[in-house]
Amino acid sequence: MSTAAPTIKTKTIDINVRHVTRLEGHGNIVVRAKDGVIEKNEWQVPEAPRFFEAMVRGRSFEDIQTVVSRICGICSVTHSFGALKAIEDAMDIKVSAQTSMLRLLTHYGEQLESHALHVGYLVAPDLLNQKSVVPLAASHEDLVKTVVAIHRVGNLVMEKIGGRKTHPIRLLPGGFSMLPSEADLRELMHELEDTIPRLETLAAAIADLAGGLPSFERETEYVALVNPPTYPFYEGQIGSTDLNTPTPVADFESVVNEYMHPQSTAKWCKWHRESYAVGALARYNLNADYLQPLAAGAAHSFGLKKGVCNPFLNNVAQVVECFQVVERSLQLIDVLLSTGITQERPRVSPKAGVGVGAVEAPRGILFHKYEFDEDGICTRANLCIPTNQNHANIQLDFEAFVPQIIDRDQDEVRHLMEMLVRSYDPCISCSTHYLNVEFV
Amino acid sequence: MKPTAIIGMGNPLMSDEGIGIHVIARLQQTILADRTDILDLGTSGMRALHELEGRDVVVFVDCALMGTEPGTIRRFTPEDVETKKIQPRLSLHEGDLLNTIALAKRLGTAPERIVIFGIEPKTIDPGETLSPALAARLDQYVATVREEVAL
Repeated sequence: MSTAAPTIKTKTIDINVRHVTRLEGHGNIVVRAKDGVIEKNEWQVPEAPRFFEAMVRGRSFEDIQTVVSRICGICSVTHSFGALKAIEDAMDIKVSAQTSMLRLLTHYGEQLESHALHVGYLVAPDLLNQKSVVPLAASHEDLVKTVVAIHRVGNLVMEKIGGRKTHPIRLLPGGFSMLPSEADLRELMHELEDTIPRLETLAAAIADLAGGLPSFERETEYVALVNPPTYPFYEGQIGSTDLNTPTPVADFESVVNEYMHPQSTAKWCKWHRESYAVGALARYNLNADYLQPLAAGAAHSFGLKKGVCNPFLNNVAQVVECFQVVERSLQLIDVLLSTGITQERPRVSPKAGVGVGAVEAPRGILFHKYEFDEDGICTRANLCIPTNQNHANIQLDFEAFVPQIIDRDQDEVRHLMEMLVRSYDPCISCSTHYLNVEFV
Repeated sequence: MKPTAIIGMGNPLMSDEGIGIHVIARLQQTILADRTDILDLGTSGMRALHELEGRDVVVFVDCALMGTEPGTIRRFTPEDVETKKIQPRLSLHEGDLLNTIALAKRLGTAPERIVIFGIEPKTIDPGETLSPALAARLDQYVATVREEVAL
């Protein structure tokens, strides 16, 4: 893609992509340019106040994970784990190795299904010039069926261990209310083994098409969990590409540095620079040395180098992570089957305290912080979602990217900007779902 | 997988937006269904794709803006309606059930009979209780859905 300086033409660009919902999280792309001069270039996020934090105040520690799992239909497992880890941190609750492994397996299931959905249903149509996945299913039926099959297996993992495809019901502080059987784990093992050739098919398709991604680059700070020598999603400290030493999770508020921005009612974040980025590319840039063999091979075949700063390649990093979570899942199941499932029930007693949980959602690092009184009733909550951490970075990408493309047709500029926002896999308007229909 | 599924969609933390989940919770309490899965799929519309395949009948219960009086329940099929949602596809979280059904049809995995019960909300603001207009009719909604699948 050309990145030449814009040609000055007598024309007006007026882009106003409004994500119309009646409330809470949504994002608008607004660009106005006249005769090649950019007058307005904004990523606007008019998100409603964080009512979920208010909703958990006054609730028992035993109910928090169930409530917060409803914040998002895609990241419900991650929100549950953010809460559980914060609760366990606040009350000094230790979990067994079996619980940690089963949680990790569930979490990998969510990464797999979310990444497959994003790459297959939102990115692939862009690369294949289709308006959405529905017409893509007509033009590239085999590819869509492959993506659907991968997505199904991710969901199956969450269902077999979390008890439900979404909004899990078996996750509790200290452990599980019900454990999967060894037959469940064997079924998952076979399904995950069958997923590897499907991922190879998806990776080959994306590799063929990745040349269609813009070659735009902008250096920024990348932030993700680090826990050498692993590629972590569930535990670790906070790493930054601008730092050599990690930051304790308990200090996350000094990392996110939330602030109000006039373009947005959602809070924005910054750390060592004016913005930072979270998500698959951040995880890759910080942890690529610890990828499993198939994931590392996929990264190599994509030519994905550690230190890459093209935000569009976040989607390629998501494909790499699909291999990573499947490989790790198979290893975990192998260990669990070797040792056998021990029937254990969490027995926890509440106590007063403050705790923080940090986990990687598919779209980036997520922080939950709660305070509890001596009865285990939540008195304060602070949740910082990955998409809010990316808003300032998206804005700075706009400011660098738009001057490079402003000489193009308005529709092309709009499409490229939508692709840029999509590449971050943002969590927008995720707490509502309702139909809005007209009878025909 | 059972041949029939009743699937509730929505978010019970957003007042009437969660009406589908309230109906499902009531159905799960009151019936023993040998041939019917009764599922809460929350706000993840695309997961419904995997619940359509291999079934004979799928009945959805969902909050729906239909331009009717709050509390109104209306039965329709995907062919009876067009979506009015404007979706720039910026996010996976913009899910639309009708889009999921369209994809299943395109892939040949949709059951022959898909029925949607739309329930018009009074409010979809944050809150865990239904507005009175809907709460008062919860039994009626449950009975209507049961009648559809002859439970």
